[in-house]
Amino acid sequence: MSKILEINNLHVEFDTYGGTVHAVRGLDLAVQKGETLAVVGESGCGKSVSFQALMGLLPMPPGRISSGSANFQGNDLLKLKESEMRPLRGSQIAMIFQDPMSSLNPTKKIGDQIAESLIIHKGMSKRDALKESLKLLELTRIGEAPKRLNQYPFEFSGGMLQRVMIAMAIACKPQLLIADEPTTALDVTIQDQILALLKDLQKEYEMSLILITHDLGVVARMADQVAVMYAGQIVENGSVDDIFYRSAHPYTLGLKQALPNSQEGKSAQLIPIDGSPPDLFSPPKACAYAARCPMARKVCLEKAPLIFEASSKHLSRCWLQHPQAPSHPELFCGERK
Amino acid sequence: MKKYLLKRLWHGIITILFISTATFFAMHMVPGDPLSSEKAITPETRKALEAEYGIDKPLFIQYGIFLKKTFIHGDLGFSYTNRNTKVNEIIANHFPVSAKLGLLAIFFATSGAIMWGAIAAKYRNKLPDYTSMVLVILFISVPSFVFASGAQLLIVKLNAATGWNLPYRGTDSFVSQIVPAMILGLGTMAFLTRIMRSSLLEVIHSDYIRTARAKGLSPKQIFFSHELRNAVLPVITIIGPAIAAITTGSFVIETIFTIPGLGKFFVQAVQQNDYTVIMGTTVFYGSFLVLTVLAVDIVYGFIDPRIQVEK
Amino acid sequence: MKKATEIPDIAELDFSPVPKSEAHEEKMRPSQSYWQDAMRRFVKNKRAMLAALSLVIMLGICLLGPLVWRVDPNLQQLNEALQSPSWSFEGRTAKVIADPDNSRMQTFVPQAGILNSTVENIVTVGLASTVQIHLSWQAPPGAHAFQIYRNELPPLDRSTLGVPLALVRGLEYRDALKLELIDYYYSIVAIDQDGKESDSYKTLQVNVEQAFSLSDAKRLGFDVEVGDSVVLNAHPLGTDSLGRDLLARIMKGGQVSLYIGIIAPLIYIFLGIIIGGISGYLGGKADSLIMRFTDFVIALPFLLFMILFKVAAGNSSENSINIILFSLILLSWPGSARLIRGQVLQLREEPYIQAARLLGGSPLYIIFRHLLPNTLGVILVSLSFAIPSCIFTEAFLSFIGMGVVLPDTSWGAMCNEGVKLMITYPYLLIVPSVFISITVLAFNILGDGLRDALDAKMRSRE
Ligand SMILES: Nc1ncnc2c1ncn2[C@@H]1O[C@H](COP(=O)(O)OP(=O)(O)OP(=O)(O)O)[C@@H](O)[C@H]1O
Ligand SMILES: [Mg+2]
Repeated sequence: MSKILEINNLHVEFDTYGGTVHAVRGLDLAVQKGETLAVVGESGCGKSVSFQALMGLLPMPPGRISSGSANFQGNDLLKLKESEMRPLRGSQIAMIFQDPMSSLNPTKKIGDQIAESLIIHKGMSKRDALKESLKLLELTRIGEAPKRLNQYPFEFSGGMLQRVMIAMAIACKPQLLIADEPTTALDVTIQDQILALLKDLQKEYEMSLILITHDLGVVARMADQVAVMYAGQIVENGSVDDIFYRSAHPYTLGLKQALPNSQEGKSAQLIPIDGSPPDLFSPPKACAYAARCPMARKVCLEKAPLIFEASSKHLSRCWLQHPQAPSHPELFCGERK
Repeated sequence: MKKYLLKRLWHGIITILFISTATFFAMHMVPGDPLSSEKAITPETRKALEAEYGIDKPLFIQYGIFLKKTFIHGDLGFSYTNRNTKVNEIIANHFPVSAKLGLLAIFFATSGAIMWGAIAAKYRNKLPDYTSMVLVILFISVPSFVFASGAQLLIVKLNAATGWNLPYRGTDSFVSQIVPAMILGLGTMAFLTRIMRSSLLEVIHSDYIRTARAKGLSPKQIFFSHELRNAVLPVITIIGPAIAAITTGSFVIETIFTIPGLGKFFVQAVQQNDYTVIMGTTVFYGSFLVLTVLAVDIVYGFIDPRIQVEK
Repeated sequence: MKKATEIPDIAELDFSPVPKSEAHEEKMRPSQSYWQDAMRRFVKNKRAMLAALSLVIMLGICLLGPLVWRVDPNLQQLNEALQSPSWSFEGRTAKVIADPDNSRMQTFVPQAGILNSTVENIVTVGLASTVQIHLSWQAPPGAHAFQIYRNELPPLDRSTLGVPLALVRGLEYRDALKLELIDYYYSIVAIDQDGKESDSYKTLQVNVEQAFSLSDAKRLGFDVEVGDSVVLNAHPLGTDSLGRDLLARIMKGGQVSLYIGIIAPLIYIFLGIIIGGISGYLGGKADSLIMRFTDFVIALPFLLFMILFKVAAGNSSENSINIILFSLILLSWPGSARLIRGQVLQLREEPYIQAARLLGGSPLYIIFRHLLPNTLGVILVSLSFAIPSCIFTEAFLSFIGMGVVLPDTSWGAMCNEGVKLMITYPYLLIVPSVFISITVLAFNILGDGLRDALDAKMRSRE
């Protein structure tokens, strides 16, 4: 298996009225061909910003990519010029956004909006593009697709709009699809259908999928690999089994405990994570999670944690993974003891 | 949709009635009597004149007659100063001149504002934006009569210096209307520019533009097929009020440039206390404006697909 | 993510547990109240501060200026008419001279002959002053009459002699046509018996002194003799066609413009607050009734009705200021009523107001404690935009002669007077226009600044 995308040390900052926001602080990620990588983390930890930066979609200013590289099929996406990036966007890498209601142009017909990327990337005529759009809409299992083609976004429900977004994203058969919380705005049944649709399409098109979410349930269902993000950094990275059954970072544990019908099956009680994420205007030098971490030690408040390998290809940014660190019963600490 | 249209139309009619009523009673609050400007008239001629203009009857009967004549016969009566001229004729003769000027002004104002606002938004917080915002606030703050007189002065001096013969008054040619129309539209253009700028800024930062970029569209494609259209919509909603502003602005511009439009005539009529003309013109302009706003709203309903379901 | 290669020894790391309190210590950034925050943003806005400063200056000129500049704005001095701005506050001294004597006229007997030479010996007689310039000359043979030209620049050739002043059958000419304190170039061309002007001319440069005729001085109340000197008023901004001092008139007109521009919005916004507040607070039938009426008033064509009211009030000259004020209020309150009502409706649904109601707060308490403070920002912003728009309306109306009229004046009315002589005396229009424009501009910028400062949403967007 080969890597389709590898992000190294991505830093994103925003210059705002009140100071500089360090939204992403050294993000490392890799996605394998045909696999699904889930990126989890609570609201505001920098998930959307990271991938918008990758796509060159950050508003600049105030946004700024201060360092990093992103290797996609031999190209460093972060170094590409806007004009070199454009042919990739929508054809090689596509993105689905968080809020389908506001992500479609309210005054343009759905059909035209889907056809657009076919016209620019595939050089289709408007007629062919519309025909193709119809096929795509049918593929996303929208009822009465031919009629829908001529309607405007406000005539659609949220779930239908998300299907439209998906149709739009897969129009050019991209190799990598980034779905930014595709189901957050939807109710549970629709959520299920959309996820099933994404999974089917992924298989059919052999796409790699980056699924951004803060719902561990979605992760369990969809992901091969998982990256847990906190305050602009990945704190734990591993296979879905690693994350769920061998959680090696206290934050992951906290996320799991905050999840209804916990996967562990033991604690039926929900335990919220105390406190709030750190101020990204001046993020702590040491471990960003230390202030909220029930297992925090003095070192966690003093020194930035190193990255330890808890098990093979399962990494964690936590001092407690130090070979000689005291162990905790809930926290997976590798095979060292 | 049909119900909505009918409702709007009904509202418009009521509003026009209200305007006419207010006009009628405002004009009949005038102290003294309208014929007082007539020099030395015998009691007999006076009687005859009073009967002719119907001002010998009680106020409410006059009001009834006024409404009936105005709205059933479309007859606004005879002018007081030019006994033989019907107010309808005056309007028919002078309004087209004003309308031409006004249309030209609206054209300048909207097309200028769309272009200019777009440039300001695209170069936000850069030199073009700053300069255009300075100009905008200047054009909003300097009265149009200053620009009008200034332009006239400039043309006169230019003619004197170069021996050219640029027109600076009257309506002899199309060219002579361009300068007045531009000045007439200037304030409105500045106002619309502001709206265009902020509406385009809002559009530029909206999620669907990000989607369009994610599809790989070029900035040019995005601008022409997504941003421009959506940003222009709010500008269109205030074309109605803009027409009203331009109409009243024409009083001054027509007077300064001696353009024989209805605005200039109205100002003259006021100076001569020509009551029927004042009343007729007010009712006419009032109705015209109400209907224009209505028309713009209806047209807007067709342009913006979102409106069709609401109502 | 790559795993660390060099792992520090456990001895260097302090794995002792942290007490709970230390871990949860949170740094709070200082918080500021809404108004403090708005104030800080407003003061930081350089443009708005500049605008505020110019408004203070403008108000100072108009309200306090007359205390310093004690010139009667209505004093007509025809001999001072149409002076351009001098930009100086220093009074000019003028010599008092005897009244010019226009009676003595030498009889002129033309010499026979062919006109082929030009006039000789042009001289000024007596003092060449702003009262009069008396020229005399000697006639060449064949001259029957003389054409006198005056220019402010040295003539270059026959075609640039300047303004033809008069055709004289005599050997002297007294010029009193709007003389100013500059050098004049008088050129005299002889005319033969057929009335043909000769091609040659003679030019005299005349240096003018400030002077005052005795009778004029007496008329103005100076107790002087010929040979004394008097100090004349300076006219920093010049004078109008009746010789009235423009600076004094600008102050007086400014008082009127600012009075209308500030008082009218204050009153109609207050009315709007009351009507809109009641309407929004009551809701239901009363609300829809009030709002229906409001809609009608808004639909009236504004300027037409301003004019109509003016006509209805009898087009009279006295009280023209209050007529405008009254009409402005009558036609403008619905806008602010609508605005306030919208705010109140919105606020009524806010949880804290619902709570105050449930807790039994009296309507007055709720209005004064909650509703008003929360609409204050909107009211302030709308006030700061209403003022320039009222000043504008007044200027516009006065300009077409439908506003402030004699004996009162306003900046708009001054523009109206100025536009008539605009081509020759542009400053008559420019001076009041500049005052209107600066004031309106400053209010607009101030309003923008206020809106930006009070509207936190704007801040994140712009
Ligand atoms: N335009 C911007 N200006 C300033 N700060 C920004 C901007 N956009 C994002 N941020 C900051 O970047 C951080 C990360 O935001 P991001 O949208 O990536 O969060 P997220 O992880 O996607 O959260 P959510 O789950 O709510 O979507 C936030 O703290 C936010 O305040
Ligand atoms: Mg997000």
